[in-house]
Amino acid sequence: MPATSYLALGAILFCIGLYGVLTKRNAVLVLFSIELMLNAANINLVAFSKFGLYANQMGQVFTLFTITIAAAEAAVGIAILFALYRNRNTTHADEFDTMKG
Amino acid sequence: MKTLIDFDWTVMAPELTIAGMAALLSVIDLFLHPNKDRRFFMWPTLIAIGTAIGFVATQWGKPAYQILADTYRVDDFAFVFKMILLIGTALVAVISYGAFRREKGFAEGEYYYLLLVALLGGMVMTSSGDLITLFVGLELLSIATYILVGMRKRAITSNEAAWKNVVLGGVASAFILYGMSFLYGLTGSTNLFTMKERLGEALTSGYDLYAWLALFLIVFGFGFKVAVAPFHMWVPDVYQGAPTPITAFLAVISKTAAFALMLRVFLTGFLPLFQGGGGTLVDEETGGRLLLTMAGLSMILGTVIALRQQDAKRLLAYSSIAQAGVILVPMATWGPFLFPSTVYYLVGYLFTTLGAFTVLMLIEGDAGDSKLSSFAGLSRRAPLTAGAMALFLLSLAGIPVTVGFFGKFYILMNAIVTGSPEHWAMYLIAGIMLMTTVASYFYYFGIIRMMYFRPPQRREGLRVPVGAMMVIGIAFIATLGLGLMPQWILGILGNLDWGAALSPVK
Amino acid sequence: MSDFAWCIPLFPLLASLLLTMGARRYSDGVASLIASCAVFISAAISIGVLMETLNTVVPTVHHWRWLSFGDQSITVGAEVNQLNALMLVIVSLVSFLVHRYARGYMAGDRRMATFYAYLSLFTFSMLGLVISPNLLQLYVFWELVGVCSFLLIGFWFYKPEAKRAARKAFILTRIGDVGLFIAVILTFWQVGSFEWEAIFAAISANKIPPEMITLIALLIFVGAVGKSGQFPLHSWLPDAMEGPTPVSALIHAATMVAAGAYLVARAFPIFAASDVALGTVAYVGAFTAIFAATIGLVQNDIKRILAWSTVSQLGYMMLALGSSGYVAGIFHLTTHASFKALLFLAAGAIITMLHHEQDIRRMGGLWKSQRRIGWLFLIGCLAITGIPPFSGFFSKEEILTAAWLSGRVDLFLVGVVTAFLTALYIFRLFFLVFMGEERGKIAPSQIPRVMIWPMVLLTIPAIGAGFLAWIPAHGFSDWLTKGTGILAAPQGEAPGWIPLLTLLLSLAGVGVAWLRYGRGAVTIPSQSQSVTGIHHLLSRAYFVDDLYRWGIGKPYRWLSILLSWVDQQIISGIVSGVGALFQAGGRIGSRMQNGQAQTYALVSLLGLVIVIVGLTAGRWFG
Repeated sequence: MPATSYLALGAILFCIGLYGVLTKRNAVLVLFSIELMLNAANINLVAFSKFGLYANQMGQVFTLFTITIAAAEAAVGIAILFALYRNRNTTHADEFDTMKG
Repeated sequence: MKTLIDFDWTVMAPELTIAGMAALLSVIDLFLHPNKDRRFFMWPTLIAIGTAIGFVATQWGKPAYQILADTYRVDDFAFVFKMILLIGTALVAVISYGAFRREKGFAEGEYYYLLLVALLGGMVMTSSGDLITLFVGLELLSIATYILVGMRKRAITSNEAAWKNVVLGGVASAFILYGMSFLYGLTGSTNLFTMKERLGEALTSGYDLYAWLALFLIVFGFGFKVAVAPFHMWVPDVYQGAPTPITAFLAVISKTAAFALMLRVFLTGFLPLFQGGGGTLVDEETGGRLLLTMAGLSMILGTVIALRQQDAKRLLAYSSIAQAGVILVPMATWGPFLFPSTVYYLVGYLFTTLGAFTVLMLIEGDAGDSKLSSFAGLSRRAPLTAGAMALFLLSLAGIPVTVGFFGKFYILMNAIVTGSPEHWAMYLIAGIMLMTTVASYFYYFGIIRMMYFRPPQRREGLRVPVGAMMVIGIAFIATLGLGLMPQWILGILGNLDWGAALSPVK
Repeated sequence: MSDFAWCIPLFPLLASLLLTMGARRYSDGVASLIASCAVFISAAISIGVLMETLNTVVPTVHHWRWLSFGDQSITVGAEVNQLNALMLVIVSLVSFLVHRYARGYMAGDRRMATFYAYLSLFTFSMLGLVISPNLLQLYVFWELVGVCSFLLIGFWFYKPEAKRAARKAFILTRIGDVGLFIAVILTFWQVGSFEWEAIFAAISANKIPPEMITLIALLIFVGAVGKSGQFPLHSWLPDAMEGPTPVSALIHAATMVAAGAYLVARAFPIFAASDVALGTVAYVGAFTAIFAATIGLVQNDIKRILAWSTVSQLGYMMLALGSSGYVAGIFHLTTHASFKALLFLAAGAIITMLHHEQDIRRMGGLWKSQRRIGWLFLIGCLAITGIPPFSGFFSKEEILTAAWLSGRVDLFLVGVVTAFLTALYIFRLFFLVFMGEERGKIAPSQIPRVMIWPMVLLTIPAIGAGFLAWIPAHGFSDWLTKGTGILAAPQGEAPGWIPLLTLLLSLAGVGVAWLRYGRGAVTIPSQSQSVTGIHHLLSRAYFVDDLYRWGIGKPYRWLSILLSWVDQQIISGIVSGVGALFQAGGRIGSRMQNGQAQTYALVSLLGLVIVIVGLTAGRWFG
């Protein structure tokens, strides 16, 4: 089934994204990694739209929505990071830990 | 061929009202002088919510109806949850009025229309039978709350809370979407009811692993959104850093909407997995046990860590994790009163939590921090407020004649009647619930002891703005009234057609 | 009159609401008057209701539907039967007297109105508990009295001990309450109703499996153990003495702590259906009775001695109920309420007189100056000791008879020994306080009349309540069990030597106490022999004294110290151990909460993986 290679690509992308979120010190990269994870899901959706058990157009429609949402989320994330950078003067994600316990 | 115009758009009146007002306010905001105080936005916000409540009330009790192939459906399930969300948001809007009085660098304009947008997202989540709409609603709510959490732009804690919220919320969304993509692949549909039928076939034809993978991925994401363990870690930090009205919003409205989403998706789309979707690796009880584990872990972790907290806001955050575990119990035990007991508890939780956070907000404004010691001697400074707070805490702790007691009792009942020697896990969860309830007395009574058994740090009375006073009053009456006369609301919940939410409209 | 029984609890509630709303507006006198009047009305109606139950046969029940639960409906209401009516009178009368007494005792306290608000709220909850016709309503009030007790123990919150005691009391009784709560749910699950009548009907129709009955009965008893301070949940009760003395008299002697015994009596048909449950009640009660009595002898705080005595006497009641002595248990509950309230109020008067001195080693010789209080206290002592014609004699005799007839000789012996110990510790207290030389530095002050007359009134039942047993042809027990189908006492002929034995042992206890503490020859703080005379009588007394010291005193003292140690180290150790466990868990939890979003994501991911592996591992290896 040709879907497998697409699914594998999606899975790899998702894992790279997850790895990035968990380990990257630079906050901007953390946000990018989240985008990677969302895009992995998009690849899956498009692949299933062509090769799924019941192939139809729905997956591509879904993808259109998620791309828009991902853009909005990235914009908000970057804006919050700006505010944080203005106050803390750093983009190192591991320094954002004033609240804990 | 049916065109868009042919659909009966009037059923969407509540959502359209909220969306329209949000758009209108954002335009008005553009044309107002930058220095103009925008707190009066509360009034249009309240009018919009009031109108929406009116629309929901007129639709109440009508048979289930759907438009656009189940992407939007109105059924009793949606009515109830929408009502909770609308009332909750209205109360949050009222307490917000006095909250940001002296803050510098606070953008008041966005505040109210973002609140409306978040509410709109929540309403869409409660009232859709399609994955795409559900996801869009979830993101609408989430993204709006990311901004609301970071609303106090100059405060480092607020920025940091927003950051944590956006990162962890983003990861959760990615997990949900990734899980949904598998679900779509197996069923070729985003309609929950079509999914239910086709998922059963997929399970029997050797694709069960993908189905379970989808469930686990989605559980990860939903776990974040409803804030149950082990996905709870963001909650204390975000709750602490967010402005207190927004903390209340997160604790009540976001959580309720996420529970509505979870109920819908698990009880329709994923139903085959919960009803004996056995396979090579997983047996049919796994789905239920997964939820049970999450519920139990939340109650234990939330309670145990709350015992150590010195900050009232963090304490309430951990308590809300434990409460989320309790709310998850009916879904996990799948008892005969699944819907009524969940909704009853959510209604009680709404008023109690909002009341408690309102008092906390007043204390925070008065003392400048939310430490437990700031509650000292409240009974002498503001006897009525202290009495109300004591009632809210008693209700959260589950002491009789409050709504919290009866809610816990109902859920416990529900768990025990489903139990049997084979289903011993039900007894276990009931035991955990009782144990953690007893342990939770320590920290709830810690606050009560502060208020009643400690001398106040300062002499003068606590200033209580009219809005906050009204919210505390409403919450007080509801907490006591629903505890004394649960029949009133149980009668309403008992007459609803819950089954309509689980099957396609005929 | 029974038709209005439901409004008995409402008057104190009303008073409480009035006082809460305008706590600062009322002067002390007005606040006291409002609360006392409300309780007085309740007491008057209660007496009317009691009079009516003397003639009517069937319990009268009033229901209102509260909510529907599936196809079941739950009601709230009020039930009047003989047991209820008796309890109503006890609670409201003692409460009224304590309300009046507190006017004197609390004089000068700035929060008098608040105090009365709490006290009235407690009276409301306790009366509500008593008239509850179903388990759920009882449970609700059961919790409420717990909350009131918490508020009142911690009333003097500026004392750290009071705060600690309030919390301890609340948490320990809550452990018991959880047991009761599970029992409530199990009962509903099995019977489909909370109503007492329905539960008893289901039991007599054998609808519930026997193991389930035993389980439910034991869980109900766990609730009673917590509330009545029975072993091992007893340690909160002596600590609760940090509250004001009127509170100790009302809540921690006469009413709330007796709620445990009342609950067992109320649910008696459930217990009667299970031998295991009855046996547990009897043995726990007996052990508590003797255990607390021994500890009572080495205490030096006047109120703590009385508290341990309360624990011990409550054990007696449990012993009676567990030995199927239904009437004996309730009878003792009645008499105990009167004489223990009297003792506490008198102790409160002594404490007031000595400006809040509570250590009996610094009292003594009060008989000369305070003859009036002395007499009142003495009446209480004689009543608890069981010297005829005082009330304690009759009820104690019935308990021992029940224990004997139930065929458990060991329990009977424990009861008898406890009777001796009771006489010993209470007269040790009496002699140390009233006899000998004045060891205190402070001159006693006068106490107001408002504190005297409640005590005088309490002496009437303390002396006279015992004669209930003498109403011709078992009038009291027939009345109490009429229409309930409960056996008044175990079958059999009571041996006539039991009262005699009780009396002799009690007198022996008093005698030993006199020889050891009463002659004024011994100064307690140093425990040294201050008299070395060679007088014939004295030397003979010394012989007894030595015998006492080496034969009974020393081993007994060691035992007491050992038991105190067990109580303080092991029981409290377990309690604080559980707390430490929670603390440790919390520490680990908050260490993981290190403030880093990335750690949170990682923990969640690992958590999910662990949960999934845990749930499916069985499949992989099996």
